[in-house]
Amino acid sequence: MGKTLFEKIWESHIVVEKQNDPSLIYIDRHLVHEVTSPQAFEGLRMNNRKVRRPDLTIATMDHNVPTTDRSLPILDQTSSVQIQTLEKNCKEFGIKLFDINSPNQGIVHVIGPQLGITLPGTTIVCGDSHTSTHGAFGALALGIGTSDVEHVLASQTIWLEKPKPFEIRVEGKRKNPHAVTAKDIILSIIKNIGTGGGTGTVVEYRGDGITDLSMEQRMTICNMSIEAGARAGLIAPDEKTFDYLRGRKYTPKNYESLVDFWKDHLKTDSDAKFEKQFTLHIDDIAPQVSWGTNPGMTSDVTESIPSPDEFSKGDSNQKKGAEKALDYMALKPGTAIEDIKIDRVFIGSCTNARLEDLIEASKVIKGQKISPNVQAMVVPGSHMVKKQAEEMGLDKIFINANFEWREAGCSMCLGMNPDILSPGERCASTSNRNFEGRQGTGGRTHLVSPVMAAAAAIKGHFVDVRKMDLS
Amino acid sequence: MKGNVIKYTQDNVDTDVIIPGQYLKIHDYAELATHAMEGLDPDFHSKVKEGDFILSGKNFGCGSSREHAPIALSHSGIKAVLALSFARIFYRNSVDGAFLLPIEIEQNAYDGISEGDEITINVSLNEIKNITKNQTYKMKPFSEIIGKIITAGGLFKYNPDQN
Repeated sequence: MGKTLFEKIWESHIVVEKQNDPSLIYIDRHLVHEVTSPQAFEGLRMNNRKVRRPDLTIATMDHNVPTTDRSLPILDQTSSVQIQTLEKNCKEFGIKLFDINSPNQGIVHVIGPQLGITLPGTTIVCGDSHTSTHGAFGALALGIGTSDVEHVLASQTIWLEKPKPFEIRVEGKRKNPHAVTAKDIILSIIKNIGTGGGTGTVVEYRGDGITDLSMEQRMTICNMSIEAGARAGLIAPDEKTFDYLRGRKYTPKNYESLVDFWKDHLKTDSDAKFEKQFTLHIDDIAPQVSWGTNPGMTSDVTESIPSPDEFSKGDSNQKKGAEKALDYMALKPGTAIEDIKIDRVFIGSCTNARLEDLIEASKVIKGQKISPNVQAMVVPGSHMVKKQAEEMGLDKIFINANFEWREAGCSMCLGMNPDILSPGERCASTSNRNFEGRQGTGGRTHLVSPVMAAAAAIKGHFVDVRKMDLS
Repeated sequence: MKGNVIKYTQDNVDTDVIIPGQYLKIHDYAELATHAMEGLDPDFHSKVKEGDFILSGKNFGCGSSREHAPIALSHSGIKAVLALSFARIFYRNSVDGAFLLPIEIEQNAYDGISEGDEITINVSLNEIKNITKNQTYKMKPFSEIIGKIITAGGLFKYNPDQN
């Protein structure tokens, strides 16, 4: 019987194989950031261990870095200590670090592909759940906790239960690809399969709805695999993948021979078997807006807030979850999504802060001003994205519309730095999680695409971007 | 293991309510524990006792890979989380750092056990006993290596060559 892409990558990385139990898997790339690594380095020190492959380990600081003027000292003492600790650890253990002033600094999942560190067919781990982003390049990319970070630092391997392959097919053509985006595709998928729909699986996204997407859009899809509970998500590499990585800073010297190998090997066989299957038809899907406190609580922009009964379809915990979510979000069933007024807009995060996201959002706001009741910010995914956007004049478009134009980092996606919502504030956010308090205690998050966020900034409430001219 | 249950009758208890992002900079585990479950249950810190268990529904620990989540619960005194299912990163973090036992339960245990019930967990028998209600439930057994990592006391004490 044939094999899936995931199974091929898995099998080529087995160090010790166990049936029905975790296997020891070799790791090709380890990405490190300031928040989930300090205890791991401390563990190495306590046991007199070295980093086994510093040459395969790359670090940056993204989670708690300020996004304001970087020439000023960091006011938050604990953030400052965490950042200095990473600098010290990287120096001591010989790890390449893109520090706060590096032209290559940025969100770890944005810089990996940008620098050509992310490669097809590799295994990639990072102490961050959104490591699944790198799967867009046909890599097996997993988020891990700090104990596993230490294990990988020490041994370049992890014990991993073999996930089951899950095929998600995306079929059809979007009528307006500027208005209905990759974010809307992945939110639609999670809305359908639920936040636990992918638990214990590695998703392979397939179909013409996926191959049509650019690499940056594919990253948005794979990024949110974890929000469906999947261990990872990936997409078979194709010419778009190879073109994207060609000539980047760390792309290997023998790149073209690697491409030949990848073309032959990195695809699911026609007779391979998936253990689970779901198909989404995208011809008629609408822009999506989350209304609750997990990404599965999402509706079309043209719909109204569902009642907990409608949403739960008879499941009592789902009903209770929806009631609690509506209470937290201060929303009533029957309210049209387009009538929801917002206070803040955040365009950023590893989901949607790449150059293409900023280009698309800028088209919505060009020549306009944001609503006087809204405070809006753009936080580019990396220093490089910021620079490229500035070369295109996008910064001026955003600033002229009264957006704040910030330095790169995770920022308001998870509220670890000063960029947070105040209690009760409602935000249209291009990030990945709408959990209670995620963007600040009492803050209310609606997940949307960059164009939907930009349109909401202008109007002061959600609008169907399909009605706007985005050409 | 014997203790009392703190029950959250819901699915999808996420890492951001277990330990909100603003506290991920804290390195002192005792201090981290004072913020455990703060996003969901502000009274948690005042009511939790050493040896307590948490009981909840599906997909417990979904979201972030932050190991701070099981650490904060563990340093609050929680010895095990019983749930209908777990998000995988939380599950492995709990086991790898030997912070707490993630125990997958069946619907009858979820329905049968109430807040405050006293229960015992016997991992070798895969059995949960509800002393308060005089009921017994099955827990799903740990896989072989997960069981060995737990017995060893965490990932770094586990030596595959000795097993």
